[in-house]
Amino acid sequence: MAEKKDILEEVTSSDYKYGFTSDIKMDTAPKGLSEDIVRFISKKKNEPEWMLDFRLKAYRHWLQLEEPHYWAHLQYPKINYQDIIYYAAPKQKKELASLDEVDPELLKTFEKLGISLEEQKRLSGVQSTIAVDAVIDSVSVKTTFKEVLAEKGIIFCSFSEAVQEHPELVKKYMGSVVPYTDNYFSALNSAVFTDGSFCYIPKGVRCPMELSTYFRINTAGTGQFERTLIVADEGAYVSYLEGCTAPQRDENQLHAAVVEIVTHKNAEVKYSTVQNWYPGDKNGKGGIYNFVTKRGICLEENSKISWTQVETGSAITWKYPSVILKGDNSVGEFYSVAVTNNHQQADTGTKMIHLGKNTRSTIVSKGISAGFSNNSYRGLVRVAKGAKNARNFSQCDSLLMGDKCGAHTFPYIEIKDKTAVVEHEATTSKIGEDQIFYCNQRGIDNEKAIGLIVNGYCKEVLNQLPMEFAVEAQKLLAVSLEGSVG
Amino acid sequence: MNVIEKMSSTEKLVSEFQRVKSSLKGFLSLREKAISEFERVGIPNRKNEEWKYSDASALFKSEFNVEGLKLKVGKHDIDKFLVPNLNASVVVLVNGIYSEELSSLENIPKGVVISSFAQALAEKPEIVATHFSKYADTTNDAFVALNTAFASDGVFISVPDNTIVKNPIHIINIISVGLPLVKGDKEGFLIQPRFLFIIGNNSELKIVESFDASSSQAKNVCNSVAEISIGEKSKVQYYKLQNDCTGVHLISSVNAHQQKESHFDTNTITLNGDWVRNNLNIVPDAEHCETHLNGLFITCGNQHVDNHTLLDHRKPNCESNQLYKGILDEKSIGIFNGKIFVRRDAQKTNAYQSSKNILLSDDATINTKPQLEIYADDVKCSHGSTTGQLNEDAMFYLRSRGLSENSARNLLLFAFAGDVIEEIQIEPLKIYLAELVNQRLKK
Repeated sequence: MAEKKDILEEVTSSDYKYGFTSDIKMDTAPKGLSEDIVRFISKKKNEPEWMLDFRLKAYRHWLQLEEPHYWAHLQYPKINYQDIIYYAAPKQKKELASLDEVDPELLKTFEKLGISLEEQKRLSGVQSTIAVDAVIDSVSVKTTFKEVLAEKGIIFCSFSEAVQEHPELVKKYMGSVVPYTDNYFSALNSAVFTDGSFCYIPKGVRCPMELSTYFRINTAGTGQFERTLIVADEGAYVSYLEGCTAPQRDENQLHAAVVEIVTHKNAEVKYSTVQNWYPGDKNGKGGIYNFVTKRGICLEENSKISWTQVETGSAITWKYPSVILKGDNSVGEFYSVAVTNNHQQADTGTKMIHLGKNTRSTIVSKGISAGFSNNSYRGLVRVAKGAKNARNFSQCDSLLMGDKCGAHTFPYIEIKDKTAVVEHEATTSKIGEDQIFYCNQRGIDNEKAIGLIVNGYCKEVLNQLPMEFAVEAQKLLAVSLEGSVG
Repeated sequence: MNVIEKMSSTEKLVSEFQRVKSSLKGFLSLREKAISEFERVGIPNRKNEEWKYSDASALFKSEFNVEGLKLKVGKHDIDKFLVPNLNASVVVLVNGIYSEELSSLENIPKGVVISSFAQALAEKPEIVATHFSKYADTTNDAFVALNTAFASDGVFISVPDNTIVKNPIHIINIISVGLPLVKGDKEGFLIQPRFLFIIGNNSELKIVESFDASSSQAKNVCNSVAEISIGEKSKVQYYKLQNDCTGVHLISSVNAHQQKESHFDTNTITLNGDWVRNNLNIVPDAEHCETHLNGLFITCGNQHVDNHTLLDHRKPNCESNQLYKGILDEKSIGIFNGKIFVRRDAQKTNAYQSSKNILLSDDATINTKPQLEIYADDVKCSHGSTTGQLNEDAMFYLRSRGLSENSARNLLLFAFAGDVIEEIQIEPLKIYLAELVNQRLKK
């Protein structure tokens, strides 16, 4: 009951509670993008030659590309890539012996965000612990529980560390799912990515705790370009969480990340995101431009990749977590709730590429638009020739609140095999007046009633989230929709 | 007749326009605007989201004549294209040019005008001016722009208020090249018929349009544009039958504009044709309109059939329904791209869209993109799309009753296609089409 009360209290309180800025001493690169900046980042990170080569190749390829404006249902001015700081890191000593040496301001920041960097079990009755990799602007500041995980052979560290310590793994898998040639933003990311998380689960290991990365943009004028790589070897399992916030600023900041997942035989990766970048103010000023390429590949048979996302933040979201179902009998899942309010724009969905035999995929997408926002689902289901007995079910529901917003569905279905069974259905509607009336009648006011109905509407997706996240997500939904009624 | 050396580029067509523009009948400023739009947009390739699955630029690699070939077609040649018992008025276009002698108009009520588009341009410029290029958008659609720039002949129909045209009007498009062309084997024709149908208030009109390109041998392109204005409380039915269009690449655009409480039903049946693209742009622009778009395509070989629909709901309380079915065999490619667009004011819209497809071969491809773009909150909009095979249980049931595999299969496919055929409201046409579909399935 107490929990519920909190949610309702939060509904009536502030809009974006993570909008504070922290005064951490930063080490930044000059504004602008050039080959020198790419070299500068690589040097800063003390990278081997092959890494720099990869970056430069990506950068040169990026120069030939044009910012894609022609298909997404998004409107934004051309981004000035010379007006972005590509590297910003908290100033600190080279090697950290313990947590005490971390800038206290930085610790405070993460505390404020509700992320504990100290390795103590959380109270509040939650049994499982979570290992966190905290990334602020361009670098990873702390990875918790590393030692505990290492005992099981699990590698969980920042991407830069992985480049230094596990180059053979990074070399083998980086760019194998999202090559730098994939699209405009993945090319940009490949050239200038600064950090991110790396995770390798060895054969037959079931990761004992949830792994998580927490991203925070802090410095003004920076862009965040992180890269995450998760590899689950034969029979491994991991559940991975990702969270993100940014301070409230009038300018638009760019976030262009790449996430790659590889699953081997019988392995499973569950990736959950609660995306809560600063969405801009009520008039659409400021906010994060979120251009993310997320893709997983079920490399061998009987593997499974599942994406769950709750998208509430960002001024612009451009994100299509995808699964390539290469191994026979592999399974791909996509569960999404996307909420847009005020002047937010979201164009998000998934791609399910069926290549292997007997592959299955499920897509459940729930869009909610309010205010002046536009919310689009864009998803692709492709069954390649020879992908026998592929099966897909997609369901996309949209909910409109008010008559100034838009909800759109753009599914692409491409089938080249006669044994495929593919179903897609979509609906668009508003919250029934009778439902609200029913709540009103029982003394629940409009705003709370909407929160209640929306949570019910999203239940299918929220159920897929790990417990800690689910509570968070429910609160977030209520806050995001605050002020959208009446 | 002028053969353009290379038609691969948009510029060639533009320069061709400059050459022939003095011979075009009127509306020069409108035509010039259209050609400049065409030049700006260009012939779409796969980069264009609306042409993602159909590369139109590939069709324009050969050389074209922009003026139609005047061919002698005998009256008895027409007989085989007639629908039995339809009792229709027949209008014949040969290579996009209205043929007075082959057309026979019957039972035309008083006040109804059926003539060539050329005649309407010459004799009724003011009526044409109020409707011509008002419903077909030249700003984003290169082919509509191209047709508008060159439009010189086609069919003009005007139905006054309170008039029911009982007998259907059967428009037969004959694309025929006859003798081998002047030189080389690259030459083809770019045929661009224009249709303008103006229906007053409280009236009814039924149109059947069919194609025959069986005696055409070159890679001809037929780019037809129809504009239909439907008055208050009027009902219009438009049936498009694309059965014999193997000798031509077909790009067709139907643009309908609906007034208050009007009905518009259309049925597009594609059975034989190399490369077909159908665009339907329907605007129910007043309250209480009803729109039904149905389509069926049965393809085999290397056929490429692309159906695009756009329902632009602008006003409240309208209803629309779309049902498209495809049966694809061998190496054929089918596309359904439908969009329901609900504008801010169009509250209480009730729109439904369904696309169902069966693949019969491992080499066939179906691409569907059913889209909803919605800006009003009090609406009921949904779509569904399925792709699968014939139900095994149903097959088994029929086989257990002694049907051969082939006839069981045909029976089930016919039932699948039957949903679309059932929507046809002209009985003789329904019987005729059912037979055609049946024959087609046996192939």
